[in-house]
Amino acid sequence: MIAVFVVLACMTLLSAFGVVISRSVVHSALFMAGAFLGVAGFYVMLHSPALAALQVLIYVGAVTVVILFGIMFTQKPQARRFRVILNRQVWGGFVVAAGIAAILIYVFLEQDWGGTSPGHGPRLVAQLGRILVGTGGAPQIFGLLFEGSSVLLLVATVAAIVISRRRPEQPTERGGE
Amino acid sequence: MGAFVNALDQEPWRFIISFLVIIVLTLNTAAILTLAERKVAGYIQLRYGPNRTGFRGILQPAADVIKLFVKENVAPGRADRWVFLAAPIAMFIPAAVIWMVVPFAPKAVVTNLNIGLLFVVSTTSIGALGVIMAGYGSHSNFSLLGALRGAAQMISYEVPLILSLLGTIILTGSLSLSDVVDKQAGGFWHWYIWSQLPMFAVFYIASIAEVKRVPFDLPEGESEIVGGYQIEYSGMTWAMIQASEFASMGLMSAITVTLFLGGWQPPFEFLDLGNFDWIWFSLKAALVMFTLQWVRWSVPRFRMDQLMDLGWKVLVPLSLVWLLVTAAGTLIVG
Repeated sequence: MIAVFVVLACMTLLSAFGVVISRSVVHSALFMAGAFLGVAGFYVMLHSPALAALQVLIYVGAVTVVILFGIMFTQKPQARRFRVILNRQVWGGFVVAAGIAAILIYVFLEQDWGGTSPGHGPRLVAQLGRILVGTGGAPQIFGLLFEGSSVLLLVATVAAIVISRRRPEQPTERGGE
Repeated sequence: MGAFVNALDQEPWRFIISFLVIIVLTLNTAAILTLAERKVAGYIQLRYGPNRTGFRGILQPAADVIKLFVKENVAPGRADRWVFLAAPIAMFIPAAVIWMVVPFAPKAVVTNLNIGLLFVVSTTSIGALGVIMAGYGSHSNFSLLGALRGAAQMISYEVPLILSLLGTIILTGSLSLSDVVDKQAGGFWHWYIWSQLPMFAVFYIASIAEVKRVPFDLPEGESEIVGGYQIEYSGMTWAMIQASEFASMGLMSAITVTLFLGGWQPPFEFLDLGNFDWIWFSLKAALVMFTLQWVRWSVPRFRMDQLMDLGWKVLVPLSLVWLLVTAAGTLIVG
């Protein structure tokens, strides 16, 4: 168990590090897929395979692919310089990261976790499904509202594409034919 | 002897052995399908196909493998070497790993995941990443074009592919592939293909698009972009890409059989073979693979806009409508 955890943690952290410091945007995106896969592995370790599968499906299979797609359509993949990567915001970034790490470590150490062990919560897929369709009870209606807003965003995206699309040019008169 | 077999049936040995079996199965499926593909192509085009190596060309896969092993592995000088070399692996692993949840016979499944179907679709979606890696890593315009087409096609057809599974999930009430097969017991009229015929059609078409075969082979498109994302590959890396394509074709046939054609269930109950029910599974899977090859050598390639129209304007609405019909039917009947 410990060995698996170490392997997954190394994979996630090294990939995340690769996302930040790699010189090519495409490499960053690929490293990000590795980090997502590592997180999916953590979900499996926590006895939540459904969450892991959804993580792989959405983040590796859709988000990363769309990002790569966007990069390749819009710009020539080219190497950045390290000076561009390590710009003057690097120290501010360090401070913020260290602060968040300190808060997280504090919470994890101070919280009394009692006898909790992973995988003992209500993580049934059936229950998740009921929450997603809003029949799980009064507070769970938020799941349905969240989905409704995502549909709204989708409609907005499609509308934006339709509005911004160029009209097909009128066939110009050409002599001869 | 019995104690030894029992010890092998425990974890982790059971998993290790069955996983090795899966890898061997995947590679052999790919090798045999290359031969079958050429033979079927030959007979459809009124010629023999490979018939020199062994009896009627039966040793052709072995000859191919030896040839590919001794061939030099050439990478373009400007290629992004690590991405270039990792791409075939990223394509092959998903095609091999999904076999783990396919039930071959009663209780003969590597891991009976209770989210089997979700595992199938999520692992299939990694394949698009491999295609993009191959296209980008080769540093060639044709490769990049092929990869972009491939990625667009694969993420478009994933939507109808997943939607077409939902009807089966509603009828079964479970995401486990073993449960899906168990529910279809008792003769061929209980198979889901009858109640889910539109979903079967959608899944069949979307699975052809997902494995990038004719008529959806725009990412390869020999006549326009000479081979798409696999132009620059040679030797074993090329063989790996081909193996993963044929393996995913076999895999899609196996999933089709499991979901819609009753898996290992015999067509009539008195034909039940007990532990040898994998014969039924293989027969049905082979039949589906043959239809895929039949399609490949019979129809021309789609245009890009036709491809997108078919996916988004026909398959997605059709599967949504039939999903509603299935849900309403389940609600009314019980």
